Amino acid sequence: MGLGRHLFETLDSTNAHALRMGVESFPAWVLAHEQSAGRGRRARAWASPRGNFHASLLLAPSEPPATVALRSFAAALALRDAFTSLTETPQAFALKWPNDVLCNGAKIAGILLEANLPCLAIGIGVNLIAAPDPALLDPDALPPTTLLAATGLRVTPETFLDALAPAYDHWERLFQTQGFAPLREAWLQNAAKLNEPIRARTGSQTLHGTFRGLDETGALLLQTAQGLTPIPAAEVFF
Amino acid sequence: MSKNSPDADVTFIAALAELLNKNDLTEIAVKREYGEKDSLDVKVVKKPPQVIQAAPVSYAPAPVAAAAPAAAPAAAAPAAVALPEDPAQHPGAVTSPMVGTVYLAAEPGATPFVTVGSQVAEGQTVLIIEAMKTMNHIPAPRAGTVKRILASDGQAVEYGAPLMIVE
Repeated sequence: MGLGRHLFETLDSTNAHALRMGVESFPAWVLAHEQSAGRGRRARAWASPRGNFHASLLLAPSEPPATVALRSFAAALALRDAFTSLTETPQAFALKWPNDVLCNGAKIAGILLEANLPCLAIGIGVNLIAAPDPALLDPDALPPTTLLAATGLRVTPETFLDALAPAYDHWERLFQTQGFAPLREAWLQNAAKLNEPIRARTGSQTLHGTFRGLDETGALLLQTAQGLTPIPAAEVFF
Repeated sequence: MSKNSPDADVTFIAALAELLNKNDLTEIAVKREYGEKDSLDVKVVKKPPQVIQAAPVSYAPAPVAAAAPAAAPAAAAPAAVALPEDPAQHPGAVTSPMVGTVYLAAEPGATPFVTVGSQVAEGQTVLIIEAMKTMNHIPAPRAGTVKRILASDGQAVEYGAPLMIVE
């Protein structure tokens, strides 16, 4: 996808902007140096200061919603590839279900997909140089870090996009030609805490169990006292 | 034939439904042979929220049933038994396009997208379903009024589950 890039000094949210652009504008990357209303899962605020990376990829997939949602894994794999190509330290970067990329066990980025079909916005935020104050985060959340602090590498958002865009393109093509299987396999190869205890907080409860990977629909497989439970939506804690 | 009158069939199906609930099963399928060309096929299925479905029932020697191919007993005459209303079959039903978690508001504590009685435009977001950290805006399939909301905030739903009635 040699696709359009839309660069902004400030946006409310790159996801919101991408969805407003609408289906006639896809595919396109939207990058903002600052977001005034950056958001994470369940509208949690995402600190978006200048120097960090905030961008969204606008797509218009034609598959059913459950298939569209599997791009969560394509995005996570692409983000991990971008980090490893820039830092050349692949062992530092692991994946947490469904689409978190961790750097030495710390949270360095976040991905949120918003679908208002036919439009899909894949929003990606990376702490390139700044991370939020841990005191402001969920006490159960992983400690935050930045690419600069963790690796000493200082890159601009544009440089980061230069690494991320082709990496995403690779996984998108693979997904379109071979389906979810190769993404699932690659994801599992880089998953953190596989076969270790984790907690999954769903909309209504917190489940404790052993992380057994993902099923072919992308659902988290949690081995609990009740058996092997597929979980399609949850927040995972270590 | 008194033994397989429609009343007796309904009683039988109701007994199956009770069995399903009592034993925490999700599906029972039974075929009853009353004699040559006279059988009853019934499937009772439970999904959240509970739905009871009956397979078409055939009676012989009713002319329509007799005309049906004998080799396909399950696909018998279209004499379906009407059972408790399935909201998923309602013409104004908004059903879940995927397995996931329902959110009735954009964020915890925020005003819901819609409430019962809300007027909605076609395509307007009425709720969100999350799966794989993908927030799917679910649009109203038509302009109208929200008559019922069948899912609660944070509820896990299956594919096809009825979420809302808009008419």
